[in-house]
Amino acid sequence: MKLKKLMALLLATIMCLSLMACGSSQKSNENTETGSMNNEGEAEEQPQVKPGKKGSIEFWTVFTGADGSSMQAIVDAYNATNPDYTVNHRAIEANDLYLKMPLAIQSGEDVPDVAINHIERIPLFQENGFLEDYNNFIGDSPIKAENYNPKAWQMTEINGGHYGIPLDVHSYALYVNMDLYEKYGNGALDDGILTWDEIKASGEACKADGIVTIGMAWHRVKFLAAYAQLGGTLSSDGVTPDFDNDKALKVLNLWTELNDLGYIQKDGDAPWEMFLGGQVLYCPEGIWMWNNVKEAGLNAKIYDYPVFDPAVKGNWTSSHQFVLPKNEKRDAEKTKAVLEFIDFIGNNSLEWAKAGQVPAHNAIKDVAEFKDMPQAFLADENEELKIYNYKYYGYAVESLDKVLTEILFGRMTAEDGLKQAVQETKDRIEMGQ
Amino acid sequence: MKIRKHQSDDTQVFASTKKESWIAFFLLCIIVLIALVPLFWIIISSFKVDAEINQAGGFMFLPKTWTLKNYKEILSFSNKQLPVFRWFFNSIIVSGIHTILAVIIYAMSAYAYAKLEFKGRDTLFLTIMFLSSFPAITNIIPLYKIMHIFGWLNKLIALIVPGLAGVLNIFLIRQFMYAIPDVILESARIDGAKEWRVFAKIVMPNCKPILIAVGLFTFTGSWNDFLWPSIAINNIDRLTLTAGLQLAKGVYGNQVARMCTIATIAIVPMIILYIFTQKYFVKGISINSGVKG
Amino acid sequence: MQKSYRVKSKKKFSITPYLFIAPHIILFIIFFVIPMFYGIYASFTKWNLFSDPEFIGLDNYKTILFNKESTFYRQFWNGLKNTITFVIICVPFQIIIPLFIALLLDKKPKGRNIFQGILYMPTLFSITSVTLTWLFIFNRSLGLFNNLFGTDINWYGEQPYAWMTIVITTLWWGIGGNLIIYVAALSGIDKSVLEAANLDGAKGFKRFWYITVPTIKFPLTYTIIVSVIAQFNIYGQPLIITGGGPNESTFVLLMYIRNLAFGTGNSIAGMASSMATCLGLIIGIISVGQLVLIRRRSE
Repeated sequence: MKLKKLMALLLATIMCLSLMACGSSQKSNENTETGSMNNEGEAEEQPQVKPGKKGSIEFWTVFTGADGSSMQAIVDAYNATNPDYTVNHRAIEANDLYLKMPLAIQSGEDVPDVAINHIERIPLFQENGFLEDYNNFIGDSPIKAENYNPKAWQMTEINGGHYGIPLDVHSYALYVNMDLYEKYGNGALDDGILTWDEIKASGEACKADGIVTIGMAWHRVKFLAAYAQLGGTLSSDGVTPDFDNDKALKVLNLWTELNDLGYIQKDGDAPWEMFLGGQVLYCPEGIWMWNNVKEAGLNAKIYDYPVFDPAVKGNWTSSHQFVLPKNEKRDAEKTKAVLEFIDFIGNNSLEWAKAGQVPAHNAIKDVAEFKDMPQAFLADENEELKIYNYKYYGYAVESLDKVLTEILFGRMTAEDGLKQAVQETKDRIEMGQ
Repeated sequence: MKIRKHQSDDTQVFASTKKESWIAFFLLCIIVLIALVPLFWIIISSFKVDAEINQAGGFMFLPKTWTLKNYKEILSFSNKQLPVFRWFFNSIIVSGIHTILAVIIYAMSAYAYAKLEFKGRDTLFLTIMFLSSFPAITNIIPLYKIMHIFGWLNKLIALIVPGLAGVLNIFLIRQFMYAIPDVILESARIDGAKEWRVFAKIVMPNCKPILIAVGLFTFTGSWNDFLWPSIAINNIDRLTLTAGLQLAKGVYGNQVARMCTIATIAIVPMIILYIFTQKYFVKGISINSGVKG
Repeated sequence: MQKSYRVKSKKKFSITPYLFIAPHIILFIIFFVIPMFYGIYASFTKWNLFSDPEFIGLDNYKTILFNKESTFYRQFWNGLKNTITFVIICVPFQIIIPLFIALLLDKKPKGRNIFQGILYMPTLFSITSVTLTWLFIFNRSLGLFNNLFGTDINWYGEQPYAWMTIVITTLWWGIGGNLIIYVAALSGIDKSVLEAANLDGAKGFKRFWYITVPTIKFPLTYTIIVSVIAQFNIYGQPLIITGGGPNESTFVLLMYIRNLAFGTGNSIAGMASSMATCLGLIIGIISVGQLVLIRRRSE
């Protein structure tokens, strides 16, 4: 009985405390970010950012993973320079952000001042009228087009307006286990680039020793990279999807061939983990996975994604971009501050490079430490970075996701799969208007 | 005033034969062992080193090197990406308050549907039961907009209140309450007791088993919910433990040891809670007034 | 004439019952009914969540129910088929296994409470923990099962193994709930009735079927209805464990609905709502049907 009474008392206390807290958090307003438990001791909130002289900037990003701490470090460095507006970094899971940001913009409540979006999202958001045109603001700000990777910059030019300032480019490249390469590689990388034929050439030897020649993960971007190398697009007119064509078939037939020959991992195995365990010779993966490799102590290097033709490289790439959501509460002065913040990040991107990204601002190229990073070579690539900005990219890749694994492991023919994917994309476009 | 069912000394009048109870014991041992293996596997994997797992070809039953590194990394205070303690605190508040409110509200409603007479009582109950079986998935957006209107977005109250609309628990309690003889209630009313007193002093104490069960269901349901918190809450550190650890999956992908650490961290509070409430729980079930119709 | 106690039949209007049900009803209306009706309204519209919904009448329903060319038709029927398959495979086990275990526990073996406690525990875990646990057990090369038994089954890539992984996970997770209800119910059975049956010569299964089962009819009914509803709403396990594969054979309806409403690109909330409404109707009809059937049987 006594214990019960104690529990009841405890619960009642907690109830009161939290009601107090709920009450106090009502004081939050547009500019300042208050912690919810402001008198409950060590409220380890996302940085208790004291608003700057003039207020604070709400910065939403998708960096909930390990990237998050890297971005936080940069934001902290910025706040340490005592700017007029301090920056409040909020990391939100990507899918949630793409749900909440538009909802916020529409309702006008809690709209972020600046946000990170993947480049593929921008065309649709722009079309829906959610984003500000940077051309109205960058005139007298430190932001200059020539400071940035031209590819990443120009892809947010839509109808004469400019809607994204690139933070980075991140590509899906090729990891090579150099120890295994010595044994099975046959000098394929002497010319700095690996072709599919060279991969096949190493196949039998690897197979005989139980080594996976090439690991296949994240089929979507692998398909898109190879497809782009052949000149394929998701939609030739930018509206109607038509990626069920010969180029796509060529890519997918190659895949089924590799599977039939037994040069890829078994269906159901996890290629990246196997690679880290030293059982895979070549494994395409994102450059942002480099830290895994370091931790596993593997002797590996990064190269461009495999090609059909050594003269035509192509790495699937995406880009994180700063966007300006339409927000009435952000006045001209604050917008200016936002741009200064963006510029600061551009000039201080080393931390971001350490997270495995390739910063889009050219300043990084002069940083010695960066040049030694395995992904540095991508900073000079331009045409090789295949960035997709098809308006309906989202629909297309979601429908591809459903069929690519099946095609790879022979459960569905490439023709059927592509047809289904295109149909699905078309239907969703029609209904999503 | 407790109602005691007239019972003969039931364990002796119809004792299972010793042989039967030993067969049961044996079978149960097997079943429980099978049920325990996954749990054991997860917990023990959290002590492994990821790099070693990969090197061993991906599978290792016992850790090669026992390490607490995974825990240190995930539970560290400076881990702003995964503020586990904060999440834990939030979960306790949200689930605790939610459960208390739920039990009271559900019991009140169940009492009315079971023991009080009013017009349209049964129709109303059937209606809400029917309505509540509708899949809640498309409720989320309108609900989000409602939260917005109330100004509850990003606050813990958004996690506590909307879930109180459930109906199944009312059904459960109502069934249980049918077993309480009307006579007792009537005589209390004749004695002048107001309905609230009848409810609080007579009905509730006699429903302990089912209330405890409902309380547990509600608590764990709230604790384990991750979809709604991830949508209604923006700040990472206002998430609940389950929703937060869901995020962590995104951080660690396929790294077995770290993922198992996360799973273990998610599981341990529940186990501890259970150990403490087991006493009430067992006592409740063993009171011989079963769940009757 | 005796003074009749007219206590019960006092038809005086009392506000008390309404006060008792009020808190719940208010909450129910605000947080469930209104969103639900808005959702149903949305099923008659074309809506991308951000702009205002555009009323299009029954078009969505026509598409998902009749338009064979449409992706949404394919998704709806495939999703429905998979969901129903799952309910049919899973629910019987969800009733029989806990009932069997409850019977064992009812024999009052040693350590009864510990057994019960351990078997109940998984219900307390979140879906993340549960799916994580089993993900690593059924992994083809890294998993416990294949390594322990030397098999090389491609659990996630082949049927019927893919279904098995989901069902086993769901059972491990969920039987605890029904188990404690059955244990409580069995312990409430008047033992003298069973004893009488025993003396009459009805033993074992006969006794179980003719006496035990009817006595625990209500908890049985409740658990069956709840389990059916719960499995119709299955979402997390196939999403995380098999990702809907192989070949969308475990892609349940709720997954399609969520994809349409919250996937990448513009939301197709109207179509998603129409699928959800259909699903809701089906669940509702089945639940009420079950209730009526059982009511009828008991009369």
